[in-house]
Amino acid sequence: MRRTLSLLRIALRNVLRNRRRTLITLAALLVGVSVMVSVRGVLNGLQSALVENVVKGQTGALQVHRKGYRQNVLASPLTLDFESEPIAEKARAVPGVQAVAPRIAFGGMLAVGDETIFLFNQAIDPAAELKVCPKRGAAMHDAGKFFGAGGIEQVADAVLVTGELEKALRPAMAKTKDPAALLAPDRDGALSGENATIVGKVDLSGPGDRKLGIVRLDVAQRLLKMEGRVTELAVAVDDLSRLEQTKAALQQALGEGYEVHTWEEIASFVVDIRNMQNALLSLVAAVFMLLMLLGVANTMLMSVLDRTREIGTMMAVGVRRQTIVALFLMEAGFIGALGGSLGGALGWGLSSWLSADGISLRLPTSDVPYVIHPFVPVQYLAAVVAIAATGAVLFALYPAWRASRLRPVEALAGG
Amino acid sequence: MHHRIRRFLATSLSLVTTAITGAAFAAPPAAKAAPPATARPAPAPAPTAGELLAAYDAVMGPVNFEAQVRMVAYRDDGSSRDYTMKVLKKGDEKFRIWFAAPSAVAGQEMLRVGDNLWVYMPNLKRAIRLANRDSFQGGDFNNADVLRVNYQKDYDAKLDPACASEQAWCVELSAKSKNASYDRVQLWLRKADKQPVAGAYYGGSGKLLRRATFRAHKSYAGLTRPGEIVMRNMLNTKRYSIMAWESMNTGVNPPASRFVLDDMGK
Repeated sequence: MRRTLSLLRIALRNVLRNRRRTLITLAALLVGVSVMVSVRGVLNGLQSALVENVVKGQTGALQVHRKGYRQNVLASPLTLDFESEPIAEKARAVPGVQAVAPRIAFGGMLAVGDETIFLFNQAIDPAAELKVCPKRGAAMHDAGKFFGAGGIEQVADAVLVTGELEKALRPAMAKTKDPAALLAPDRDGALSGENATIVGKVDLSGPGDRKLGIVRLDVAQRLLKMEGRVTELAVAVDDLSRLEQTKAALQQALGEGYEVHTWEEIASFVVDIRNMQNALLSLVAAVFMLLMLLGVANTMLMSVLDRTREIGTMMAVGVRRQTIVALFLMEAGFIGALGGSLGGALGWGLSSWLSADGISLRLPTSDVPYVIHPFVPVQYLAAVVAIAATGAVLFALYPAWRASRLRPVEALAGG
Repeated sequence: MHHRIRRFLATSLSLVTTAITGAAFAAPPAAKAAPPATARPAPAPAPTAGELLAAYDAVMGPVNFEAQVRMVAYRDDGSSRDYTMKVLKKGDEKFRIWFAAPSAVAGQEMLRVGDNLWVYMPNLKRAIRLANRDSFQGGDFNNADVLRVNYQKDYDAKLDPACASEQAWCVELSAKSKNASYDRVQLWLRKADKQPVAGAYYGGSGKLLRRATFRAHKSYAGLTRPGEIVMRNMLNTKRYSIMAWESMNTGVNPPASRFVLDDMGK
């Protein structure tokens, strides 16, 4: 034990001996690790913003449908519907459920003057919707007009459309005085129509249908001849980390005829994107790490060549070969741990600094800029330091082995 | 200074992150294979593709007619809906339809003039533009299947011996313009009397959308033609619609004033 301690002391002193070389190696580790950590931090911030935008602006944490609905989701079948209030009542009674919003998803056409375009509609109850998807309000232009006082409640036939649709309809809107009309096959398939007033634009908060309309639930129920009925309940939960438990409890309460899905199952593209980003970042990080560790290996090899005479002396006074190996490995470990820690600290500091103001980032898949607050979990920092230290030790194996293979007489003569 | 550094860092980190994000979105394009054709021996003397197409148009869309038509749309869940309507056609490109049943659509009307198509909604008291490729009353025909029927105008035709059978010629149609309701159509006509017996309808990227069977051929006051078309939805094979012509009178000459927007709802 005392021998190991004194060996450690010697190793530390050796690291400090050639300051310039050590500093250059440390600098390489510092830059590499801090960039890695801060990019991870930004990506963490981006991913949690993405999840929040999807859960609180689109899907809700959980969704309830009639059994078999998700299998047919492309057809958005209106016949797989249910009485809204009794089921919502049951859902609200489940512990962990915070709020419930009834919805109907349906395909239809929006006609303005001479222009008729296809769109996918979401019918929502504005008051309930805001409790489940509070971010919806932010994604609607002039949000106060729709969800505040004098909002969508008063414009009964209000329709909100995406920017793409608005652009397509604008020339026709300028030419006609007639109100717009929303057409759709009703629950039985017969063509049905209601007047509609395009009152504003809705921004997409994530990847998804670019031709989307949002209408009031009561208007849709009249149009589709589905009074009191809906195809979907969006559910907000108290605690996202207990999502699976709440899902199970909700499924239990509603029984066989209904299916409950998490946002991850519904917005599976978010999970795919997240996995893809993580894989790419891991690849980049691995390349970075490899380059840094090669730097460490190089330093150690130089050190061995520099200190041939010293190694010879040590061997001549009876230091064993395995002790020499251990000494060099410890030196590498020191550099790795120190560089990793400093780099980690710098990266963590950088992302905290950026997090204070938030970064505004515009993604190709979204109309709304994301405000990102980077963060780095402590576990990730610990892992980075551990990888840097162990990696450095591993990469020092060859130089250390070279050192231990020297022959004392030749080494004393200067290699 | 402080702020500039922060902005620089934010921008460069965002760029790295955006690059990573962007790469994650790039997905490989899906390849579409053409449907395989079954080879059969070519028949002896054949009429030209143009003659067959003219024969098709002549029986499926006579110049003028008034018809009583019934359509039953069957849906995935086994339910069905029964529509009855009066169809009136004048010349090449003028159509009217008046729906009588079911009650949900009674009072609805449709008008086609050339490439323009409108539906009149009695509750809105006005006519709304529709597209050719939209589904006709939520069934498995599209609007142009019912309200256009002028293949000579919309498609180029050629005989395709590869898909012909012992009993039927096969005509391959390709759309002349974007206004045509399908990108590609295959029609089978009986060799015996050039009556249509089947059709296959393809959308963009060569996807098979619908398959039709023409059956119950009979004579309507001298015009022999299919009495029923069964249209199968190939995207959702549990769905199909049957359109049956209960009567057809080709001896009418309706006034042009019936084919204007102002006449709708009267």
